[in-house]
Amino acid sequence: MWFRSVYLKTLRDFRVAILGWGVGMGLLMYVVLAAVPSLVATAAARAALVSLGGTFSWLAEPIALGTPGGYVTWKYGLTILAMAIWPLIACSRLLRGEEERGSLDALLSLPRGRGRVALEKLAAVWTALLGMGLLIALLAFAGGKSVSADFGLFDALLFGLNVALICGVFGSLALLLSQFTQERGTASGLTGGLLLVFVVLDMVHRIIPNTEWLSRLSPVYYYNLSKPLVPASSYGVPSSSYGANPGAMLVLLALCVLLSGAAVWLFARRDVGGTVALPSFLRLPERAVRPERALPVNAWSLRSVYTRSLGMIAVPTFWWTLVIAGFAGWMVVVVKQIEAQMTSLYASSPLLKEEITKVGGGDLATNATFLSFLFVFLPLLLMAFAVTQANRWSADEEDGRLELVLSTPQPRLRVLLGRFAALTTATVIMGVLTLAATALASAATGLQLDGGNLAAATLSMIPLGLLVAALGYLLSGWLRTALDTGLLSFLLVIWFFISFVGPDLNWSDAVLRLSAFYYYGTPLLHGLPLLDTLGVLAVGIVALALASVRFVRKDIGRS
Amino acid sequence: MTAIIEVDNLTKRYGSKRGIIDVSFQVEEGEVFGFLGPNGAGKTTTIRLLMALLRANAGRARIAGLDCWQQSVEIKRLIGYLPGELALDPNLTGGQILEYFGHLRGGIDQAYLKQLIARLDVDPSRKFRQYSSGNKRKIGIIQAFMHRPRLLILDEPTNGLDPLNQQEFDRMVKEVRDDGRTVFLSSHILTEVEQTCHRVAIIREGQLVRVGSVEELKDIKRQEITLTFANAVPIEAFKGLAGVEQVETLADGHTLRLSVQGQADAVIKAAAQHSVVTLTSHEPSLEDIFLRYYEGDGQAVKEASHVV
Repeated sequence: MWFRSVYLKTLRDFRVAILGWGVGMGLLMYVVLAAVPSLVATAAARAALVSLGGTFSWLAEPIALGTPGGYVTWKYGLTILAMAIWPLIACSRLLRGEEERGSLDALLSLPRGRGRVALEKLAAVWTALLGMGLLIALLAFAGGKSVSADFGLFDALLFGLNVALICGVFGSLALLLSQFTQERGTASGLTGGLLLVFVVLDMVHRIIPNTEWLSRLSPVYYYNLSKPLVPASSYGVPSSSYGANPGAMLVLLALCVLLSGAAVWLFARRDVGGTVALPSFLRLPERAVRPERALPVNAWSLRSVYTRSLGMIAVPTFWWTLVIAGFAGWMVVVVKQIEAQMTSLYASSPLLKEEITKVGGGDLATNATFLSFLFVFLPLLLMAFAVTQANRWSADEEDGRLELVLSTPQPRLRVLLGRFAALTTATVIMGVLTLAATALASAATGLQLDGGNLAAATLSMIPLGLLVAALGYLLSGWLRTALDTGLLSFLLVIWFFISFVGPDLNWSDAVLRLSAFYYYGTPLLHGLPLLDTLGVLAVGIVALALASVRFVRKDIGRS
Repeated sequence: MTAIIEVDNLTKRYGSKRGIIDVSFQVEEGEVFGFLGPNGAGKTTTIRLLMALLRANAGRARIAGLDCWQQSVEIKRLIGYLPGELALDPNLTGGQILEYFGHLRGGIDQAYLKQLIARLDVDPSRKFRQYSSGNKRKIGIIQAFMHRPRLLILDEPTNGLDPLNQQEFDRMVKEVRDDGRTVFLSSHILTEVEQTCHRVAIIREGQLVRVGSVEELKDIKRQEITLTFANAVPIEAFKGLAGVEQVETLADGHTLRLSVQGQADAVIKAAAQHSVVTLTSHEPSLEDIFLRYYEGDGQAVKEASHVV
């Protein structure tokens, strides 16, 4: 059945993503909705939450924060946009990815027009997005029901549709950009960059007065105009202000149609494997290297497996460092700014106080405790980076790219360790730059932080990143790339869940110890947990040793 | 001559699926050895076992007296390898790829490298992803030859090369041979093997069915002889003669087509008893021999299409 048309085959390729993203994001909605009553147990707690919402209004417009629908809309105003990463990647690959692999040639040799092939694939993306939206809507509805929220199934469905529409816009944008780029990665990167720019553009009007005209340039603005989970009539605000905004949703739909239509139109007219020709003034100047001068290259990165591996991860390391160090520095700045609101919130919301005390690990009278709570996200980000790099190692073997390297007189062990050493170098650089960013932010804002503890908090995430990478290398000894990455990501989610939900549910210490985050501790308050850090390092070394033993003995690649 | 490759009862299974079974052969130093077989016969498995990319379930393989698995690093100093499917970093230029592999091999003669690039007419300044399949193959060939290895192991090396570059490749192989170095190449292009190889092994469904020199393989030839007589001749006169495997009378009643293994002496003498109008004999090419091993489960098959 699934191989009867291009549409069904493409939809089949998306089946895991539909379930993963749909159920994953839907469960997040469910969990957050279910937690709302305990966050606003008293009038004072509700007031404090509303006050905190005002402080974070740059994140999302805080409307009816004391209600489940209002809280989840605010809390996931930005987070839900993470789902746009999927269509962004999927649509970059949709045509360009197949062109890179050469598989589009075979597909286009069939008696089907190019336009039809592109439209069938696009229809599959849209079906997938609507499927994800439906799952999110159903789980959000279930979460709302569990706390007697006052939005109905129709409202939840509109919320899901709104999410699907904004995701569709970024998918369509990626599809359009991929008509101009030779590689799918470039199209993904450009669209990802635009996603960030549009998110910031949307924020502008919530921070700087009279700049709404600027925010209107962003599709995210139109997404945020609709708040289907906030049925305005219940809260004494004009019903036209909130709820779903059909006009905004139509703008998003029109953008989808326009961008996708342009992409398909261009695809039908360009060379397969080529790009849409840009006017000469828009083209990057070509680096003209005469063939006879192409050698020797004399590049530092070509000297060994280690340097080559370092060269391969240089670009992702740069971006991830920007995110991790930027996040850490920004957190330091924000904590200083919201000092007063947090004190008020702690006083009136016992649950939040307990959560932050447990995870942050200290006295709430200090900003460092709240910062310590936020710093747990640092190892999470570094570990996510490690997952991507473990995935790359596994993919290189699966795609046969290790075959020629291993045909040279390089021992297998050296190849594996060279690659891992490059990853270690990258994580150390990320840790050190994060330390530098937070120290600078601390000095700039006047937030008093213990230098030693700050170094411990930023540098002790390195062993956790290496642990995940080593586990990824180990699993790749037996598993295919997709399964290896999936398991590793799942492990990360489980660990995060144990460390963040476990304390609230009063799970035993033995259970909490199952999470790697447990061993990160609260270094910003209590310094480096030396034994725990050494323990993580030891487990990582054992995993790497086992991965090495396996790699040295196994059949390579495509057998 | 001494054997540079010694393969002894080598077996590789992929779970319950067949890889190769009890494969044994030797390749002498200085020869060009052809490894023939259709897709899935076990050629690449054998080569990847030699390169220690796979671990054998049984048997052993040695190169230059060294165990292929235990001493793989030492062995790889002697080898230039071209895999059947070339997977390289698409974002590197051809020149960067060659420089990288040059470094991994401990340095190479840049002048010789440039000479190879010129001979195969490839532009090293382009990214690997931008190359045509033929040019990708050329980069693979250059990286296999560039350090002047003692042994070249080439898996279907001319796949995707145009005829001019195939000729250039043949010349490069001959130079290696003249230099006393060894080439082990797998192929299903029989004319290529016939022209460049001293000896040939034929692998079928994971098992070696024949090893011999190209000439030896031709010597086990089965000739197709067509005799046209002035009058109808009884077919029984030729049945049972030494070497005759099959006789048939063609539609005109005056012509017999015989399949003869080995010498045709008895057939010629029997024909001489009658008035012969024409006699044609077709000597099988290596391709015919090869096909015979693969058609009809190794049994003799008709080669009537080659009869003239």
